[in-house]
Amino acid sequence: MYSKNIEKVLKEKRIRVGDRIKLVKNKKTFEGILMPRIEMGDLNCLIIKLDNGYNIGIGFERGVELEKIRTEWQISGKKVKEVESITFDKKLPTISIIGTGGTIASKIDYRTGGVYASFSAKDIVTQIPELKEIANIRAKQIMNILSEDMTPDRWREIARAVVKEINSGVSGLIITHGTDTLHYTAAALSFMLRDLPIPVALVGAQRSSDRGSSDTVMNVACAANFVVNSDVAEVCTVMHGSIEDNYCLAIRGTKVRKIHTSRRDAFKPVNELPIARINWIDKKIEIMNENYRKRNSKKVKVDDKIETKVAIIKCYPGLEPEILDYYLKKKYKGFIIEATGLGNTPTLGKHSLLPKIEKVVKSGVPVVITSQCIYGRVHPFVYRPLRELTKRGVIFAEDMLPETAYVKLMWVLGHTKKMNQIKEMMLTNYAGETNKRIETGEFSIW
Amino acid sequence: MVNVLNYEDINLKCGLEIHRQLNTSHKLFCGCSTNMIEKKPITEIKRKLHPVASELGEVDVAAQYEFLRNRQFNYQVFHGENCLVECDEEPIHLLNQEALEIALQVALLFNCIIPEEIHIMRKTVIDGSNTSAFQRTMVIGLNGFIEYKGKKIEILHVSLEEDAAGLVEEKNGSVTYRLNRLSIPLVEIGTGLIVGYSPEEIQNIAYTIGMICRSTGKVKRGIGTIRQDVNVSIKGGQRVEIKGVQELGLLSKVIELEVQRQLSLPRVEKETRAALPDGTTKFTRPLPGAARMYPETDIPPFKIEKTFIQKIKKNLPEPWDKKLIRFKEELKLSYDLANQILRSDYLDLFESLTKKFKINPSVIANVFVSTLKDLKKRENISVENLIDEDFEKLFELLETGKLVKESIPDILSYKVKNPEIAMTEIIKKIGLEAISKEELTKIVNDTLEKNKGQPLNKIIGIVMSKVRGRIKSEEVAEIVKKEFEKVY
Repeated sequence: MYSKNIEKVLKEKRIRVGDRIKLVKNKKTFEGILMPRIEMGDLNCLIIKLDNGYNIGIGFERGVELEKIRTEWQISGKKVKEVESITFDKKLPTISIIGTGGTIASKIDYRTGGVYASFSAKDIVTQIPELKEIANIRAKQIMNILSEDMTPDRWREIARAVVKEINSGVSGLIITHGTDTLHYTAAALSFMLRDLPIPVALVGAQRSSDRGSSDTVMNVACAANFVVNSDVAEVCTVMHGSIEDNYCLAIRGTKVRKIHTSRRDAFKPVNELPIARINWIDKKIEIMNENYRKRNSKKVKVDDKIETKVAIIKCYPGLEPEILDYYLKKKYKGFIIEATGLGNTPTLGKHSLLPKIEKVVKSGVPVVITSQCIYGRVHPFVYRPLRELTKRGVIFAEDMLPETAYVKLMWVLGHTKKMNQIKEMMLTNYAGETNKRIETGEFSIW
Repeated sequence: MVNVLNYEDINLKCGLEIHRQLNTSHKLFCGCSTNMIEKKPITEIKRKLHPVASELGEVDVAAQYEFLRNRQFNYQVFHGENCLVECDEEPIHLLNQEALEIALQVALLFNCIIPEEIHIMRKTVIDGSNTSAFQRTMVIGLNGFIEYKGKKIEILHVSLEEDAAGLVEEKNGSVTYRLNRLSIPLVEIGTGLIVGYSPEEIQNIAYTIGMICRSTGKVKRGIGTIRQDVNVSIKGGQRVEIKGVQELGLLSKVIELEVQRQLSLPRVEKETRAALPDGTTKFTRPLPGAARMYPETDIPPFKIEKTFIQKIKKNLPEPWDKKLIRFKEELKLSYDLANQILRSDYLDLFESLTKKFKINPSVIANVFVSTLKDLKKRENISVENLIDEDFEKLFELLETGKLVKESIPDILSYKVKNPEIAMTEIIKKIGLEAISKEELTKIVNDTLEKNKGQPLNKIIGIVMSKVRGRIKSEEVAEIVKKEFEKVY
């Protein structure tokens, strides 16, 4: 929307966005098509598309004359008719693509710059024609939110939608998702989907699908290949394995983290190898880590009882232990400590976390220790602070990622509030979230 | 072919688009160097591009898909000259303000109107020359003009844009590009239709436009830093666009040949052709669909404040016709030399060197307008690889008496062939370390001793052959004469 001032004049002159107009300012004449005002920039500048395609902003002030020449475009918000299912070949297996936000297919209106997201099976296939050779497609958008707006309740919604699709008999499933919190959702689904019989791939894009260089195309194509042709019945992320368009990596949902803000290969496995490498061009799927759940004929169940009052506390120099009081007052039921190094917290003077942790655990609220190092395992005894923490009854979460531990503690607390059971469940491996051994090759960021 | 065409009769109409790279300290949207000095890529990235659906319909997508399906793009990455931004792995940073200021200067020099708000646009390109599949470009000025032979030539727009990646090779559907050129700032000057001029005059108009850009002192020089597109139409024909004329001197020939080509055809198709080094052109695949521009959304449009424009107006560079007069009067260059250096790629460097050193400006100018050309012609070496610092060092050594001007061609030739060797080392290596009068006197005496009875001129000749380039020739003559007289 333009400024009130401009909107008023436009109304008086019966000029609409999309009209060809003549504008005279300081005796200079401009002609072009009036564009919608984008939200960024000066609302008091008229945006005009010149005949050479460029947009310019002309400041609107007293003395500026506007005149409508003719209506050039009828611009309206387009609603694409969604086509939910598309069958190419009855012999091919069928997969479901569930949308939670972002787009696989987009159309650009080069006139306005508007990007029209589409989630119809037809548009997805138009954008990624090779899907025709892999599977028949069912497409369904169940929500449309940015991944930073994802919530634990929405994980449950996704889990239920997945189960519904699996029960309809598809061979594999793809969930498209914004990338920022994709690894939290991946962990949540890993715990909530019990007895998973088929592959479930979470796919995002680091370059949006309205550009020709988008990573969506390869990511979705590889994910489709993976969920149809692999025997990995796990929740995995499937995204670029390098900054080239050559292969994707399938990484276990509980062992994956976004570790780059913008690169295509932002997602890396932590403390284990990727489960598989999926070549894009020759479509070869190479298993890199044999430790995975095989495709099976079990009946999937949703186990989505969760306790959402769990907080992550990061340890840093100067942290004041009082911060925990806030959460206790708000009746939080569990804490993940993103400790330093092997799992240490401050133990000296007024910054010591020990008294508060002791109080918290005694009140029956679990404290789980993970490391902000990201890679590696925490240890309960090596240093004195670790031993002090151990004495106070905290739970050391092995080589679990803090994000995964956070999601898991919610899920565990959804099942029990008894400290000994919480501890036992936190240390039980439900979805590949911990490994007893970490091999040398499992730390290779560069 | 002898050209006897009357261009008015055939109603020759041309439009020019002139591109010039800007010599900014970093690229248009990131901190990478614009120097393109790295020789070997540090890595190569393989990518594909995908069709993007537009409201223009699916036929268009299908065409794009067919065009792109079997094409692989390889992008060479260079140390210091590429970062994640050009690799399409990081969003663009804020616009380079230095480039914006230069572009605004250019727009004002062309008497353009400056929009109050600048909108960065994405222009779709699917030939792979941009990793993002679009080129970012923005109109900085419009509705300007220049004067040529007393008449106005319309300047439709001045745009600031990012340069495309440089093509390395294309074979079997695999296209390789160098990413170091990608996103070097570029100004594009588009003229209105130029009607009533000969190809020769149109070339001069292009030249004038180039000179105006040059007067900012901030445009790059050398092969590849300038590109001209020209569209040509004649009576009753369609407009044919010819892209990428790299040498200005070729422009009139390109136009003449295109006119002849069009005259030889029964019907002229509207098409895009690429300019070849010999002045002929070849057909290139036109992109389907209309001009595809849509707004850049990674960074917002920005306002151009009036006070900012006023500041730039106050500091506009000296117009080139005034510069010519100044070169003659203040720097005492001959008219020819002044004109040549003004047209030279080394103009900016010449000006900075004349400010820095007390050397006779004609000596400096001659190095750029004749010595380099002679070397190129005689030895066929890449003199364009010499960088500004090489010349600075050269004239510093000349000013401090470490070398004599006669030795400049040999030193530069050696430097081109051995860029890694420092100038001071070169002087020692090829015996060009200037010699003292005492040493010269000794050489003269030796020569006299060994060539008893020879005439003076012969002795001067022998000594000169021994010391050429190491000491001024006048001094050689003087000392030989003196010593000669002592003996005889």
